[in-house]
Amino acid sequence: MTVIPEATLSVLPRADGSARYAHAGYTVTASVNGPIEAQRRDEHAFEAHVDVVVRPAAGTGGTRERHLESILESSLTQLILVKSFPRQLIQIVLQIETTPDNDYVNTKLVQASLNFPIVPSLLQAAVLGLISAAVPMRATATASVVAVVPQEETKRLVVDPSPRDLEQAQSVHVLAFTSYDELLLAESEGDFTVKEWDGVYEAALKICCRPTSTKAGINVMLDDSEDAAGSDMRQFLRSTVEAKVAADLYWK
Amino acid sequence: MAAPSMSFPRAVFAKLSPHPYLLRTLAPQPPSDAAASRTNGRAPHEARPVHIHTSSLSHAHGSALVRTGDTTVICGVRGEVLPVANIPQYRPQATQQQQQDDSHERADERGGLGRGELKDYDLLVPNIELATGCAPQFLPGVPPTTLAQTLSTRVYSLLHSCRVVDPKSLRIWYTPPTAVGDEMDTEEQQRQQEEADDGDDGPQLAAYWVLYIDLLFVSLDGNPFDAAWTAVMAALRDTKLPAVRWDPDRQAAVLQSYSQPTTTTTATAAAAVPGQDKNSVKTTPLPVAGLPVACTAAMFPEKEHGGESMAASAEATVGNRHWILLDPDRSEETLCSETITMVVDCSEGGETRIKSIEKQGGVVIGRELIRGFAGVAEKRWKEVRDAMQ
Repeated sequence: MTVIPEATLSVLPRADGSARYAHAGYTVTASVNGPIEAQRRDEHAFEAHVDVVVRPAAGTGGTRERHLESILESSLTQLILVKSFPRQLIQIVLQIETTPDNDYVNTKLVQASLNFPIVPSLLQAAVLGLISAAVPMRATATASVVAVVPQEETKRLVVDPSPRDLEQAQSVHVLAFTSYDELLLAESEGDFTVKEWDGVYEAALKICCRPTSTKAGINVMLDDSEDAAGSDMRQFLRSTVEAKVAADLYWK
Repeated sequence: MAAPSMSFPRAVFAKLSPHPYLLRTLAPQPPSDAAASRTNGRAPHEARPVHIHTSSLSHAHGSALVRTGDTTVICGVRGEVLPVANIPQYRPQATQQQQQDDSHERADERGGLGRGELKDYDLLVPNIELATGCAPQFLPGVPPTTLAQTLSTRVYSLLHSCRVVDPKSLRIWYTPPTAVGDEMDTEEQQRQQEEADDGDDGPQLAAYWVLYIDLLFVSLDGNPFDAAWTAVMAALRDTKLPAVRWDPDRQAAVLQSYSQPTTTTTATAAAAVPGQDKNSVKTTPLPVAGLPVACTAAMFPEKEHGGESMAASAEATVGNRHWILLDPDRSEETLCSETITMVVDCSEGGETRIKSIEKQGGVVIGRELIRGFAGVAEKRWKEVRDAMQ
């Protein structure tokens, strides 16, 4: 199980862009094709249609995958400059390769309930794939999942919870932010109050939107290590792309 | 675009360019003194009133018809008996322990362990159908739309995460006759099984009730999730399961009745005709915990085709306004990409418990708006609670 996220860009030779992303036990491969010609029924006169296909690790997609697709589609449409490609299609296929296995929880192959912990991996893979395909975007996005787990009268925030944590969690939250620190996606379920949600928001903001040192105004508070629960997603996204660009331009 | 010079009636204008039309009614230009409202005449934070009618289906164990404006949904709940012998991956140890171990039980209520039974054996089966013609985009002879699939996933997930149905109330027990007399009513039997010590001659879990929750949209005019969830809650609160007794010889559940025992041959047919002998069959209302209420709003942006770049939109103050439209109708839904759904439960008193937040499709609704939306959802909760009573 990877604690630190890992990503590789352009793993598939034939797709316009692709990326493999592994984090917290999930591995997702994204392939992006676009802008390509849209089917007649998907054609939109003013903007590109973003088509997301989620393929589960085993079996065929069900209602749960449709729900994930609709979440990702509405989020990615906000990121991609869809107005620049009227009557076109941008297709993103996300193949889930591995999911964290769990010795305690009886896992059924086909489940109908929402699957929050996989959303960050899917979104991250999709964003990396879009970057790899050079699809124009107005912003990138980072996402994280936070669970509130009760622990002896108090509550503990668990970032990237394991299936065991999820089973005991009182509430599970997925938050995604754009690179302008705007809240792009917020999905929560369980039992919580506005105050608890605020705490979760803070935690997720810290992971997704940590100010990078390359930006103006170096943050000195970054150094305290006890807050370093979870990784710095934005820095990760940046360094992954930087490494890829550096490797591609090595011949120069 | 000078509206008065056009000779179109309002309806044509609304159809031709819906976005400017809604914008003009929400933000009237200085010469007109019309109050800001939506095209449907409601204020931005005004929801449509809810009308609920329960027990209208005679062949379901519980049913509800919910109408909010032109959105009409009907929900029927039916119980079917599932013998444990028919469950492929049945684990009797887990449930027996859960029944006896009190501390474990408490952990269930807090954590998620109690969800296992409902989820593993699929004891709650919601299904949503958007009837042909409920809205113009639903054509006959097509597979279930993404909307229908998404809705049923959301309802399924919320049913489990809110724990509205206690798995204990869905268990059907069998007490071997050596321990107690076999002519015994359910309440006594249940009391007995709670007191019973462990051992082989104690009460055994014989079967489960599986609740099939079917929803049919008769007409859809926006905001399907709120209506669907209200219908599910109203129907579950209306559900009365027949009192059944487990017959070990036939390996089937049989109905208990006041007069002569009505027996059926197969387990699944035990509750087949709830309408029949309605007076003679004893029923117990299904206990439903809490009253979560869903509240949806859509964000209407001033710019029709979105800000071209997020950085650029920040500097432009004009053309950057937005309205939160509560309980959007169909024409508003087509104009708004960003939506928020919050499910709250104020029935426990004290602080409002949020059961779910779903915000997607945009970046305008941020932290402050979500915080503020909790208050809107609380108000909606009171309206729906009053409609349920």
